[in-house]
Amino acid sequence: MLASLLQNLINALQWGSFYALIALGYTMVYGVLTLINFAHGDVFMVGAYIAFFVASFLLAAVGLPGWAALVLAIPLTMLLTSLVGVSLERIAYRPLRRKGVDRLYVVITALMCGLILEHANLATFGASRKAFPTLLDEQVYTVAGVSVTNLKLAVIATALLVFLVLQRIVTKTRIGMAMRAIACDRFAVPLMGISVDTVIVATFALGSGLAGLAGLLFAMSYPILEPYMGALIGWKAFIAAVVGGIGDIRGAFLGGFLLGAVEIMVVAFFPSTFRDLIAFSVLMLILVWKPTGLFGVARTTKI
Amino acid sequence: MLLEVENLAVKYGNIQALHGISFHVREGEIVTLIGANGAGKTTTLYSIARLAPPEAPRVAGGDIRLRGHSLLATPPDQVVSRLGMALVPEGRRIFGKLTVEENLKLATYARGKDADLAHDFRRVFDLFPRLAERRAQRSESLSGGEQQMLAVGRALMTGCRFLLLDEPSMGLAPVLKFELFRTLKRLNEEGLTLLLVEQNASLALHLAHRGYVLDTGRIVASGTGAELLGNPEVKKAYLGG
Ligand SMILES: Nc1ncnc2c1ncn2[C@@H]1O[C@H](COP(=O)(O)OP(=O)(O)OP(=O)(O)O)[C@@H](O)[C@H]1O
Ligand SMILES: [Mg+2]
Repeated sequence: MLASLLQNLINALQWGSFYALIALGYTMVYGVLTLINFAHGDVFMVGAYIAFFVASFLLAAVGLPGWAALVLAIPLTMLLTSLVGVSLERIAYRPLRRKGVDRLYVVITALMCGLILEHANLATFGASRKAFPTLLDEQVYTVAGVSVTNLKLAVIATALLVFLVLQRIVTKTRIGMAMRAIACDRFAVPLMGISVDTVIVATFALGSGLAGLAGLLFAMSYPILEPYMGALIGWKAFIAAVVGGIGDIRGAFLGGFLLGAVEIMVVAFFPSTFRDLIAFSVLMLILVWKPTGLFGVARTTKI
Repeated sequence: MLLEVENLAVKYGNIQALHGISFHVREGEIVTLIGANGAGKTTTLYSIARLAPPEAPRVAGGDIRLRGHSLLATPPDQVVSRLGMALVPEGRRIFGKLTVEENLKLATYARGKDADLAHDFRRVFDLFPRLAERRAQRSESLSGGEQQMLAVGRALMTGCRFLLLDEPSMGLAPVLKFELFRTLKRLNEEGLTLLLVEQNASLALHLAHRGYVLDTGRIVASGTGAELLGNPEVKKAYLGG
C-alpha cells in the first residue's frame, strides 16, 4: 500500500515536472505582457523536434556516445527553442504591440502561431511519428518495492533545479527585477533607462528555452514524437499555471505538481479514461473557489 | 543649449493639448513650468520623456532636442541611459511590488560599470533617511510622501544630469515640501539641471532661475523667477492676488 503510494508519488512528480517546466513559459510571459501565449505548447513540441534532430545529429553524424550527446543536446536544444520563441515575439506579437491593438487580437494571433507551428511541422515532416534515439541507458533502481528509473529522477531533479535558479533570477538579478517592474508598470520602465523590448525578449527566450528543455526530457521519457504532441500538454500546463496563480513562478510549479498528482491519483483508483475528466474538474473547482489561483493576488489593472 | 523645445504641438486623438510651445533650458539652470490644472504641463513632460501610457500623447508638430539630439528619434530608454535625462512622473509611478532598495537598484540597471553606485546610494539615503529605514519594505506599503521621496531618489539613481519633475511636492506635508525644495536647490548647486512642474507657483518661482507660464496649451508668459513673481497677471492668476 505504502509502496504503491510512493510509486504513484514519483510518477506524479515526473509528470508535474513536465507541466511545471511548460507552465513557466506561460506564466512569465503573462507576468510581463499580460498575454496568454497560446503558441507555447507548440513551442514545447518544436523543442522536442529540435531535441530529436540535435540528438540524432550528434549521435549519427558526429558519432558521440549517448551521454556526451545528451550533455551537448541540453544547451543546444534550449538555445534553438528559445530562438523560436523570440522569433514569434518579433514576427507576430511585437508589431501588434506597436500598433497598440486590443489584447484579444494578440491572443488570437498566439493561437494561430501555435497552429502554424503544428502544421508547418506536419507539412515538412509528414504525419509519421519520429522515434527519439536513446541517449541515456535506462537503469531501474528498486528500493522497498518502489522502482524508479534514472531518467525519472533526472526529470524531477531538473525541475527542482530550474525552480531554484529561476527564483534566484527573478529576485536577485537585474533582468529579473526588470521583469517584475514591467508587471507593475510597463510604461514607467523606460524611465529607468531600461528597454522594455529587451526585457520582453529575455522573457520569451527564458520561457521558450525551458519549453525546449521540457521537450528534450519528454522525448527521452516518451520517445514518440508527433506534430500535435504539444497541444494537450500545453493546455494542461496553461491550466496548471492559472490554478497556481498565473504570473507567479511558484504558482507554475505548484499548479504543475498539483495537476500531476491529481492525474496519477485518479488513474490509481479509476479507469484511465477518467483521468482528464476528473483532473480538469478538480482544477475547475479550485478556480471557482479561488479564481486568482493559489498564489495569485487579484490584479488591479491601473495604468 | 541643454533642452530646446520648438513649436511643440501635441494631440490626444483629436484633442489638441499643446498648440506649438517653445522654451529652452540651459545647463545648470532651474526652470519651472507653471499653470492651472489641465494647462498641459504633464503633457509637455510626457512628450519630452515619451512616457507612453495607453492613450499616449502624439507629437503632431515641432521638435524636442536634448544636447542637439532630437528626442523624437531616440528610444525613450536611451534618452535616460545615454543622454542622462530622468523624470519624476506625475503620480510617482514607483514599482509597488518591488522593495525600496530594488526600485533604486533598478534605476542603475543601464549605468556603466564605472558608476559609483555606493556613493549614489549614500547620497539618496542622506537626502531621504526614511528610505534607508524602509529599504527592505515593499514600496507599495510606503506612505504617499515616502513614495514621492522614492520617486525622486529613483530618478537620481539613474545618474541623470538633467531631471524633470512633475509636481514632486504633491502629497507632502508642508515641512517636507520645504525640505524637498531645499534638496532640489542643493542638487542644482551640485550641478544638476532641473525642469520643475509645480502647482505651488510661489514656491517654484522662488526656487527657479527662470519660468514659463502655460495656459491651455500655450505659453503666455516667461521670465526670471523674480520677474514672474512681480508680473501682475501672473500674481492674479497663480499667486492668489
Ligand atoms: N489621456 C488623455 N486623453 C485625452 N486628453 C487628455 C489626456 N491626458 C490629458 N489630456 C488633456 O490634455 C490637457 C492637458 O493635460 P495635462 O495633464 O497635461 O495638464 P496638467 O497641466 O498637467 O494639469 P494638472 O495640473 O492637473 O496635472 C487637458 O485638457 C487634458 O484634459
Ligand atoms: Mg499634470
